[in-house]
Amino acid sequence: MKTSAAIIFTIVLIGLIALGTAPHAESHTKSDTPEAAVHIFFDHVRAHDWNDAFAMVNPGDGVTKESFVRDIAGTDGSLKTISSIQKVDTKTLNNSGSEANVRANLQWSTAVGAVHETRDFKLTNSGGDWKLDWSAPQQVQQAADAKPVQTNYLRWDVVSSGSNSNEWGVANAEPPRTRIISMNAVDYNGSVVIMGEVVNEDTVPGFVTINADLIGQDGNSLAQESSFDKISHTLLPKEVSPFRIDFPGRKLAEVKSVKISPTNLLVPASADPTVGVFDQHIEKDATGKAILRGQLTNQSGLVVNIPHVLATFYDKSGKVIWVSDGYLDQALKPNQQVPFAVDVRDDIANQVQNYRVTVNYYNSSRS
Amino acid sequence: MVALLAIAVHGPLLLMQLPAFAAGSQTQMFLAKHYASDWFGLWNPHWFGGFSQTTSAPLTQQVVALLSHLFGITAAYMVTQLAVVVLLSLAVYRFARVWTGARTAPIAAIGSIFLGSLALLVYREGALPATAGTALAICGASFLYGFARGNEVLSLIKAVLLLIAAACCDSMTAVYGILLFALPTLWLASADADNEEFGERRSPAATFIRGVIVLAACAVVSGFILAPFWSSVFHSSHRLLSPDETASNFLLQGSNAVRYWIVPFGFMILALPYLFLSGFAARRTRALFLAFFVALVVGLGTTTPVAKYLLGGFDNALSVELFTFWATLLALPLVAVLVLELVTRYQQRAVILVWVAAVLTFAAPLAWMTYHPSTENRFRTDYIANFLNRDNHAQFRYLTLGFGSQFSEVASRTNASTVDGIGDGPMLPEAREFGVSHLDNAKSYGSAGMEALRAVLKHANQYGLKFIFVRDRYYEPLIAFAGWRQVEAYENGNVTLWSKEDVPPARDLNTHTTLPGIERVLWGVVPLLCLILALLLMIATPERDEEVEIMALPTTGTEPIRTQEAI
Repeated sequence: MKTSAAIIFTIVLIGLIALGTAPHAESHTKSDTPEAAVHIFFDHVRAHDWNDAFAMVNPGDGVTKESFVRDIAGTDGSLKTISSIQKVDTKTLNNSGSEANVRANLQWSTAVGAVHETRDFKLTNSGGDWKLDWSAPQQVQQAADAKPVQTNYLRWDVVSSGSNSNEWGVANAEPPRTRIISMNAVDYNGSVVIMGEVVNEDTVPGFVTINADLIGQDGNSLAQESSFDKISHTLLPKEVSPFRIDFPGRKLAEVKSVKISPTNLLVPASADPTVGVFDQHIEKDATGKAILRGQLTNQSGLVVNIPHVLATFYDKSGKVIWVSDGYLDQALKPNQQVPFAVDVRDDIANQVQNYRVTVNYYNSSRS
Repeated sequence: MVALLAIAVHGPLLLMQLPAFAAGSQTQMFLAKHYASDWFGLWNPHWFGGFSQTTSAPLTQQVVALLSHLFGITAAYMVTQLAVVVLLSLAVYRFARVWTGARTAPIAAIGSIFLGSLALLVYREGALPATAGTALAICGASFLYGFARGNEVLSLIKAVLLLIAAACCDSMTAVYGILLFALPTLWLASADADNEEFGERRSPAATFIRGVIVLAACAVVSGFILAPFWSSVFHSSHRLLSPDETASNFLLQGSNAVRYWIVPFGFMILALPYLFLSGFAARRTRALFLAFFVALVVGLGTTTPVAKYLLGGFDNALSVELFTFWATLLALPLVAVLVLELVTRYQQRAVILVWVAAVLTFAAPLAWMTYHPSTENRFRTDYIANFLNRDNHAQFRYLTLGFGSQFSEVASRTNASTVDGIGDGPMLPEAREFGVSHLDNAKSYGSAGMEALRAVLKHANQYGLKFIFVRDRYYEPLIAFAGWRQVEAYENGNVTLWSKEDVPPARDLNTHTTLPGIERVLWGVVPLLCLILALLLMIATPERDEEVEIMALPTTGTEPIRTQEAI
C-alpha cells in the first residue's frame, strides 16, 4: 500500500507535467514543413537566440552571422533595436518539396506601437530540414567619398525667463503665427478623418499640436481627438506639415461642424539633421496594393535613429485628399540612402495627382 | 520559545526594512495610507484617475493604517509583517499538533520560520495579505478541528472569527487557502470521530457536516463583508498578464524552476520521497497529503494544466508562489515526523544536519534576492513628488513609465493623480480594450501594451494627462512623436520629465461610486473587529498543552560515559 500509493501519485504528477509540457515542447521542435521552419526561426529571433536563428538560414553571398544579426536586430538605435516579434502568420505560396515560398505576416511590438510587415521567404529543404534563404540586405547607397559631416544649419535657441523652469515652451513670449492652409474631412473605414496642412508663417520655430472637436447636429461635442503623431510638431519658419486626426466610430453625416484648435509655442529648434526625399513614386506591391515608395537621404552629419515619414496626397485641384504615415525600422546614417514605403488608399490612388513627403524624426541623443 | 525564535530570525531583517521596496509592500502601504487618512471614505483619487479601495481585501491595510499612527507607515508595515510571521509559527504549531501530535508540533513550527517560500513572499514579493491570511486560515482550521471533533463552543467562535479575518486579508486565501487547510482538517476530525483516543465517540458524517456548515457560514459572512470587493472582481474586465506576472513551464524555463520551485522548497525537496511514501499510507495524514499534492501540482504553474483550470483568472505568478507556500506549510507536519525519525535514528548528527538544512533553506531566497532584485538601480522619488506637489502641478494627471515597484512609492508621496494603477481598479476604456491594466509596464505586454499606451496618450487632453515621468528610454520615441517634450531630468538623466503644453487641468472622470453606509461600516469595522476578538480570545483562553515527552539529546557514542581523574 505504502509503495503503491507513492508510485501512483508519482505517475500522476509525471503525467500532469507531461500534459503541460508536451504541447510546448512539440511546438518548439517540429520543423518538418516550411511554415513550421519560419515559425521556429522567429521563435529564435524572439528569444534573441542568434546562434540557432542563424543555423536555420542558408546565408547568401556576403552574409555573415554578424551581418545577419545586424540585419534582423537593427543597429544605431533604430526602431528595430527596440522591437520584438509579437505574432507570425504564415502562408505557403508554393512548395515543390525541395524549395518553397512562404509569405509571413509579421507583427512587431515596437516602441511606437504595433508595426505590421509582410515578408516573402524562400526556403530550401536540405536533408529534411527547411532553411530560409537569407540574402544580404539591400545595400544602402552611399557616395564613395562620403563621410560624416557636421552641417551648420541655423539653430534657434530660446532663453527661458527662469521663473518657469519646468516649462519647456516659452510662456511669456508671443507664440509663432501658424495657419491651417488646407483642410478636408472624409469618412473612411468607420471613422471620420480630418486632414490638412499647417504652416508656420513666423520667423521663429514653433511647436504645433492640432486638436479637433466634432460638433454634432444638436450643437454638442461628439468627440475630441488630436493629431498625435500624424503631424510634424516642430515647424521651422515657413515650414509646412500635414496633419491627420481620426475619429473612430463616427460618421460625417452626424457632424455639423468641426472645431479645430491649433496650439503653438515658441521652442528652440534646429534645421539639422536635414533629410532629403528622392525618387518618390507610386507603385503596386506583391499583393496589388498601392504603395508610395522612395528614398530618404540623411544630408547631415548626425544619425537619425527613428525616421517618421508623413505623406500628403493631393488631387488635381490641389486639395489634400489623404495623409498617411509610416515609421522606418532602419536608422539613417549620414549621406546614406534608405528606401521607404507608405500605404496609399486604394480607392483614391487614381485621384492622386501629386504628393509630398516630409520626414519627422526622433534622435535618442537629442530629445 | 517558537515565537521568540521567529522574532530573532525575522525581526532584524524586518527592522532593516528589507521588504520595504517590494512591489506588493509598496502597494499595501499606499492603500494603508488612504485608510490612515480617511478610514470610511473608500474613494481613492490617486490611481486610475480615481478608484475604490474595495478592489483589494482590507484587513492588513487597515492594521498597517492603524499602527501607522504609532510608528509611521513603513515601520507599521514591518511590525505587522513580524506579527504575522510569529502568528504563522504558532498556527503551524497548532496545526501540526492536530495532525501528527505534540512531539512534532514544535519541529513543524520551527520549520515554518525557516521556510524558503515564506522568505520569498515576505521579503521579495511583499505579500503581507497572503501570509497574514494563511496564518489566520491555518489557525482557524485547527480550531475548526476542535469544534468539529470536540464540539467546543469556544473553538467554534475562534474558528469563525479567524476564518472570517483570513478571508478579509487576501482573496486567494479566501477562495483557495481556507479550503486547502480546513477541508483536510475536517476530514481528519471525521476520521477521528469514532476513535476514543481523540475524545468522545461521535458520528463521522455529523462531524464533517458540522464543520462544513461552519465553513459555509464563514463564507457567507465574509461574502457580505467583502461584497464590494467581490462585486468589483466579478465586474472587472479581462486583463492580460505580463511575462513578469506569469510563471512559464519550469521544464522549458530552468530559471523559473529555480525561482518558483527549487528556492521556495529548499532542502524540503529531499523530503519529497518520504512525503510520497508515508503521506498517503498513514490513514490519519491521508487528507493532509492530498491537500499537499494539490498545492504542489498547482504550484508548478503552467508546467501542468491543473493551475490554468483551477485558478482561472487568478492564474498568475504570485498565485503559483502562494500555492507552493501552502504546499510547504502542508508538508511541515509530515516533514516534522521525518525529522523526529532522523533524530531518533542518527541522533546528534541528524540534529546538526537538519539545522544546517533549515538555515540554508532560509538563506537561499535571501541570496537569490540579492542576485535577482525586484527593483534594480533604485532612485529617489522625492524630486518627482516635490515637482508634482508644487506650483499647482497636482491639478494635472501624470503617468510613470518604467518605474516598476517604485510606481506605488511615487503615488503615496504625491497629491496628484495618475491614470495608471496596480490591481483590479477600473481601467481606462482605451486600456481596457487591450486588457492592459498597468501602463507603467506597458512594453512587457508586447504590442497590446504599447497600443494601449498609444490609445491613452491620444486622449491625454481629456484626462488632463500633462506630465510623463520616464525611467525607461524605450518609451521616449512614442511620447516624443506624440507631442510631449522633455523638460527636466533627475538622477543624472536616469528619470526624465516630459510635458505637453495644450493639456487642460484634469477633470473628474465621473467614475466615483459611493457605497451605502452599511457596506462602508461593515468594510471598515468588521474585519478588524474579528481579528482583535480572535486574538483576544486566543490570548485569554490558552489551550492546555498536552504533556510533551522531552527527548533527551543523545550522547555521541553508544559506550557509557567513563570518567577518570585528570592527570
